[in-house]
Amino acid sequence: MISADFINCKGDRYSAWAGNEILLVLPLNIRRMISTLPGQILDSVEEIRVRQGKPLLLGLSSGDIFVNPEGQPARQVGEAYHVTAADMENLIELISGSSLYALEEELRTGFITLPGGHRAGITGRAVLDGGKVRTLKNLSCCNLRVSREVTGAATGLLPHIVNKRNGSIYHTILVSPPRCGKTTMLRDIIRQISGGVPGLLYPGLTVGLVDERSEIAGCYRGVPQRDVGIRTDVLDGCPKAEGMMMLLRSMGPQVIAADEIGRREDVDAMEEVLNAGVKILLTAHGSTLAELAERPVLGRLIRSKMIERYVILSRSRGAGTVENIVDGKTFRAVAVGVRK
Amino acid sequence: MIKLLGAAMVVASSGIGGMTVAGRYSRRPRELKSLGYALQMLETEISYGANQLKVALEQVANRCDKVVAPLFSRAAAELSAATGITAAAAWENSLCAYYRKSALNPQDLIILRSLGSSLGISDRADQVKHLNLAMEQIKSENTKAEDEAARNVKLWNHLGFLGGLLVVLILY
Repeated sequence: MISADFINCKGDRYSAWAGNEILLVLPLNIRRMISTLPGQILDSVEEIRVRQGKPLLLGLSSGDIFVNPEGQPARQVGEAYHVTAADMENLIELISGSSLYALEEELRTGFITLPGGHRAGITGRAVLDGGKVRTLKNLSCCNLRVSREVTGAATGLLPHIVNKRNGSIYHTILVSPPRCGKTTMLRDIIRQISGGVPGLLYPGLTVGLVDERSEIAGCYRGVPQRDVGIRTDVLDGCPKAEGMMMLLRSMGPQVIAADEIGRREDVDAMEEVLNAGVKILLTAHGSTLAELAERPVLGRLIRSKMIERYVILSRSRGAGTVENIVDGKTFRAVAVGVRK
Repeated sequence: MIKLLGAAMVVASSGIGGMTVAGRYSRRPRELKSLGYALQMLETEISYGANQLKVALEQVANRCDKVVAPLFSRAAAELSAATGITAAAAWENSLCAYYRKSALNPQDLIILRSLGSSLGISDRADQVKHLNLAMEQIKSENTKAEDEAARNVKLWNHLGFLGGLLVVLILY
């Protein structure tokens, strides 16, 4: 993993910024601008959008702002720093660790996971091979998303997904649109159920985590860099469908967790897990349960009533707001507006 | 007596000068050969290992001939420092430091510099092409260097001492 020490900001406010690893992949001029930003802005940065020829834009929890060349928020678009072709080239090289050749699979999927579990989404021109995307070239836009570890984010939610009668959890899916804190919430649930929660779930459960994009556990050379609990086995970089089956066969998990399911093979593998007496803990994109039911593959799963809890997340009171918890059998709300 | 001592010093210094030039001619083919093997290792690391460039360079530095290892180890160290440097710049810095102490000539420098400008910025097939091209060019330079060495090593070894003797005879 890239060392963060060289920034020489140990002890000052930047050293605590969740996106420190992201600074390391930014070209020096942009790195300087971002690290000069006032503390309260830096703390609320959720994403950095770098588009060639366009103003440098930061996505904050309160909305978007532009950044000027002096590293201050810009009021007008004209005052903002405009990203050059050289910046873009440098950025791509730094993101890839000067190893674009080693990231062919990542380019095919359109994003690269950075050390610390942060995600760099990339767009450019797609190169097709037999109608399928082989790779991307002429990369021109990049979205760097800051991954945050919020210890205790799931504390309010846990009593609703833990089944005290059998000392386990319900089959649960976290549902939300992007940028609502799904992954952060999932990570904290895993951490807590793995370690055990006195008075609720004790001792903890053995969790098998399929971390296809290395976002949840932020593994470096196979070792989790994020706290995912003491009884969690992480299968890093493995496709979800295959990974779930591998964990089921090899690690004897009580819970299998994965992020962003949606493909047919994921749901097929999930059904295998559901019928093997193992609990599942997953996330999916969608803003309501009705919306999720419209999706061809997930709709089938919802109608099968195998999932016991749907947790609907939003940003209405900040990322990670639990809007609703729905019982998967009766489709009635179990709890509304759970406190964070 | 002083005259004799002076004459011996002239012959010795001229002989050492000749041997130094001869040494450069004999070192260059060895270095080029080692470079060729090292680039072959780098190609394997990139095409089969799919290792990150800094890791690939480190691996090559650990396994290749110690004569050329500093070129790869310094480039790897610069990339690992994460100071926002690109692979081309890291390679260039390392190459400049290495070139000063090596027996390579400007033509070899051009080949290695051109390789550096394409390191890590394209897909696997393209990287392999660039590395193969550099290896071919180095091989061809090596053939020339061996010919030159065969012609010049003996020549400069003898020329140094004989030139010294000639100076002594003229001055005596």
